[in-house]
Amino acid sequence: MNFDFAFAASTVPTILGVIGTTIGVAVLSCAGASILGFSFEIARRAGSVPGYLMRFAIDFIRSTPVLAWLYFLYFVLPHWGVTLPALVVGILGLSIYFSGYLAEVFKAGIDAIPKGQAEAAKALGLNRIDVVSFVLAPQMLRNVAAPVGNHFVSILKATPYLAVIAVPEMLGSALDIASNTYRYAEPLTVVGIVFLVLALAIAQGVNMLERKLLGPTNR
Amino acid sequence: MSDGQSMRQAASWPAEIGQQHGARGPDQTAAVEAAALNKWFGSFHALKDINLAVPQGGRIVICGPSGSGKSTLIRCVNGLEPFQSGTVRIGGVDLTRDQKQLQKIRRSVGMVFQQFNLFPHLTVMANCTLALRRVLGKSRTEAADIAAHYLERVRIPEQAHKYPAQLSGGQQQRVAIARALCMNPKIMLFDEPTSSLDPEMVKEVLDVMIDLAADGMTMLCVTHEMGFAREAADQVVFMDQGSIVETASPATFFAAPSQERTRLFLDKMLR
Ligand SMILES: Nc1ncnc2c1ncn2[C@@H]1O[C@H](COP(=O)(O)OP(=O)(O)OP(=O)(O)O)[C@@H](O)[C@H]1O
Ligand SMILES: [Mg+2]
Repeated sequence: MNFDFAFAASTVPTILGVIGTTIGVAVLSCAGASILGFSFEIARRAGSVPGYLMRFAIDFIRSTPVLAWLYFLYFVLPHWGVTLPALVVGILGLSIYFSGYLAEVFKAGIDAIPKGQAEAAKALGLNRIDVVSFVLAPQMLRNVAAPVGNHFVSILKATPYLAVIAVPEMLGSALDIASNTYRYAEPLTVVGIVFLVLALAIAQGVNMLERKLLGPTNR
Repeated sequence: MSDGQSMRQAASWPAEIGQQHGARGPDQTAAVEAAALNKWFGSFHALKDINLAVPQGGRIVICGPSGSGKSTLIRCVNGLEPFQSGTVRIGGVDLTRDQKQLQKIRRSVGMVFQQFNLFPHLTVMANCTLALRRVLGKSRTEAADIAAHYLERVRIPEQAHKYPAQLSGGQQQRVAIARALCMNPKIMLFDEPTSSLDPEMVKEVLDVMIDLAADGMTMLCVTHEMGFAREAADQVVFMDQGSIVETASPATFFAAPSQERTRLFLDKMLR
């Protein structure tokens, strides 16, 4: 079977038509995973959750497949009376799965701040909230920006899993075209290229961000 | 130094601190007074029954071998380190573990660390103005004026727009001193301020500290710079294994220490 460039080009609008969903899901999932991961880490630090429990939870989350989370949220939760729209399940599933990784990112980002920073801030008479918001949080954000960006690429590449719960994203729409036309090569190539370009662009952005962060403002 | 005058004039205890020692005038109140201070890290007895008074305008140098508790003591003075028994009084006010009270007291106690601890994400100027604005509620321009004044005093006015990582160690430490001075503290605590500096930068920092001493700043200073102790201190405290072993004037301390442990230490230091 020849690769039909004209046909490939004709699939582009359909596939790009759902690029918004793909990116939107990735952005929201990354935000959700960050919030969850950050909360896990803060709870662990505050001592409200013992370290070994948190360790177990994070390992558990990370060692279960994304698909298991998606199926669980989509097919099992309704048995308990919780029925969520597919899009919500998708974002929630990816958020939960990646929160395990992002918790580690935040742990490293916080650990990397020398103890002396909070002490110097306290010694100046700053209250706790100001110590966190003006001294610790900015440094943590600087430390996590690049790794969060890298995880964002991973999340983006995990969005095709959402096809199994019928969220309209790029790989799913490519497969729809394929099953309607019996031509797989063109739509799948197109979707592959789109993901490649997206991932490269984001990686480039993360690189630039990292270089900027490693500039004069870094210690 | 002429601008030192204005610095001292402006320095005054917060009203509520002044009121607590009743009849006695503030001049008789020790700037820092530790009494029967004991501190444990777990089962390790890090400070043993420390009694130390720093009079207003006093300049005390603490020295002693590594692990003797010098940092721990100085950190107890501004509440960075909690202690189990005894009292620490700053300008006559007992340190408690109440955060609000600690925050208030810390405004009048400046601290300079061995590792500088400048905020790397903020410019030199922003390092200096952060507490002025957040703690003292100064306006941006007011804070900038104050910061510029103290950066001038530590002789780096031209670096205000730079980030800490763009400065040498000596410059960073001088910014750290300026940052603390901006709060117009009554007392300055120094914990080995020159220990992590390259030798050629030690002097520029010590010079700033000697200026401060000459201006009458009350200073409690952990350092092994014996030249500084001779020139600027009026008392040298020698600590070993969590205890104060000997307190003497610099002249006596170096020439005729009364304790064997002090002598051994000095032999090693001055060899
Ligand atoms: N957070 C801590 N937990 C447990 N032990 C500590 C802690 N901080 C200090 N110590 C111990 O207390 C003792 C005194 O420490 P400190 O840092 O006050 O010594 P130092 O005189 O400042 O020494 P150096 O000259 O090395 O700075 C040391 O034996 C140290 O190991
Ligand atoms: Mg020390």
